[in-house]
Amino acid sequence: MSAGVIDLSLWQLALALLLVAAVAIVSIRQALGLERDLLLGSIRTIVQLYGVGLILAAVFAVARWYWVVLILVVMTGVATHAAVSRLPKPIPGAYGIAAVSLFVSTGATLAYVIGVVVQVRPWYEPQYIIPIAGMILGSSMTSAALAGDRLQGELRVRAAEVETRLALGFSGREAVQPLMRSALRAAMIPVVNGMMTVGLVQLPGMMTGQILAGSSPLLAIRYQIVVVFMQAAATALASLFFIRLIVDRYLTPAHQLRRYLL
Amino acid sequence: MNDPLFEVEHLSLAYPGRRGQRLAPILKDVSFTVERGNALTLVGPSGSGKSSLLRCLNRLEEPTAGTVRFDGRDIQALDPRRLRRGAALVMQTPVVFEGTVRDNLRLRPADVDGDLSEARLGQALVDVGLEGELLDRDAATLSGGEKQRVTIARALLGDPRALLLDEPTSALDPPNAALVVETVSRLREARGLSIVAVTHQPELVRRLGGMLLYLVKGEIQAYERVGDLDTRLQAFLAGERAAGVADVS
Repeated sequence: MSAGVIDLSLWQLALALLLVAAVAIVSIRQALGLERDLLLGSIRTIVQLYGVGLILAAVFAVARWYWVVLILVVMTGVATHAAVSRLPKPIPGAYGIAAVSLFVSTGATLAYVIGVVVQVRPWYEPQYIIPIAGMILGSSMTSAALAGDRLQGELRVRAAEVETRLALGFSGREAVQPLMRSALRAAMIPVVNGMMTVGLVQLPGMMTGQILAGSSPLLAIRYQIVVVFMQAAATALASLFFIRLIVDRYLTPAHQLRRYLL
Repeated sequence: MNDPLFEVEHLSLAYPGRRGQRLAPILKDVSFTVERGNALTLVGPSGSGKSSLLRCLNRLEEPTAGTVRFDGRDIQALDPRRLRRGAALVMQTPVVFEGTVRDNLRLRPADVDGDLSEARLGQALVDVGLEGELLDRDAATLSGGEKQRVTIARALLGDPRALLLDEPTSALDPPNAALVVETVSRLREARGLSIVAVTHQPELVRRLGGMLLYLVKGEIQAYERVGDLDTRLQAFLAGERAAGVADVS
């Protein structure tokens, strides 16, 4: 597998750092004021990836299911935090809701991909489950955040429309249905559009990685096809769960809209 | 004469504050009744809690204390969806949905039945002073006054016993406002509807008659029969009229 892979030495990494220097020059000359963030970003890139690399190397070496599960839990926790912190306005209970949505959507998609599609044995083989879970979580997180952001915006702009429906005797769920629909669309459109141009505009990251690692492009695209489909599924599931649970925060059992949350 | 449709007792309302902790008081210990087939107008400076009070009557807002009875029953014991069909709210800025006027008039929950025949929809338009032919118009192309009257027609199609009007004329120019005033007061007489209206329009107050409730900072300052308002309220209404020309708040 590693037959075609060129080893990267530290001084080669240092050469890559020169690329960041180019960015720094642009920032300074154009007075963008990005140098500080750029420095911090570069350091974080190195430290975080090295940290992850070391942890992964250790987990790969021992290959115990409980270590894998622990890593998946930590990843879900970080994704939950990221999704919630992207909401423009805080919602009480958003953490629990995001955690449940990401757990369910990722769990279901991951189980299907690992157990049924790729048929990894044992299921906790870290080389497969960790990167695949990472990609699924990434999609789930982005779509939950997008859907939540859109729902909040829709509720703010269309509160009068919702209350008009409520005043006509519609239930809370019925009154917000059109807004939920547009939030779900907003979350899913990027994925569906991505499916239209995948491979034509740029080669997806995972496929690129596999090819670099010496896989045949034909095997790489098969994996990539699985990845695109699983990301679509994760997106739909995560945004659906997130929206359905979060919308209830804005409604009361008496079919009222909690305007003070808007 | 003593046949109340709404009985409101010691009603208070407060919103959770910005940080979710402190409550911001909106209404304080408000009590009044609305007789069946009669009107109550709510007046007062902006921010006095008039709209919130109206929204407590059909339970779009949840009072923090006190009771509201509709037709003799505590509204807490009613299904809010049924309450809202019995006490139909018309908002300040009319909301019409995508589609024709017909689509808008037919808008109602799936589990609610009732006559929505062409004849009845047409009649509903005529009742609010519009022409029956308007049914096929794209609702988005209506004027502000037409939209407001379509929303009143939509509310009436649910056969409510009360109409709750939240500044029904304030978004309209004077001729359209006059049409809505005319429509509403005619409906009260013709259908025996109870009407609770938040308004800045002295004309609407006079035409509806009944009682007037003057609210300042969430508290009742006066609760009087429109026929014999004291000088202070007459002055307030006159001021509203003078201000109303330029200031449509």
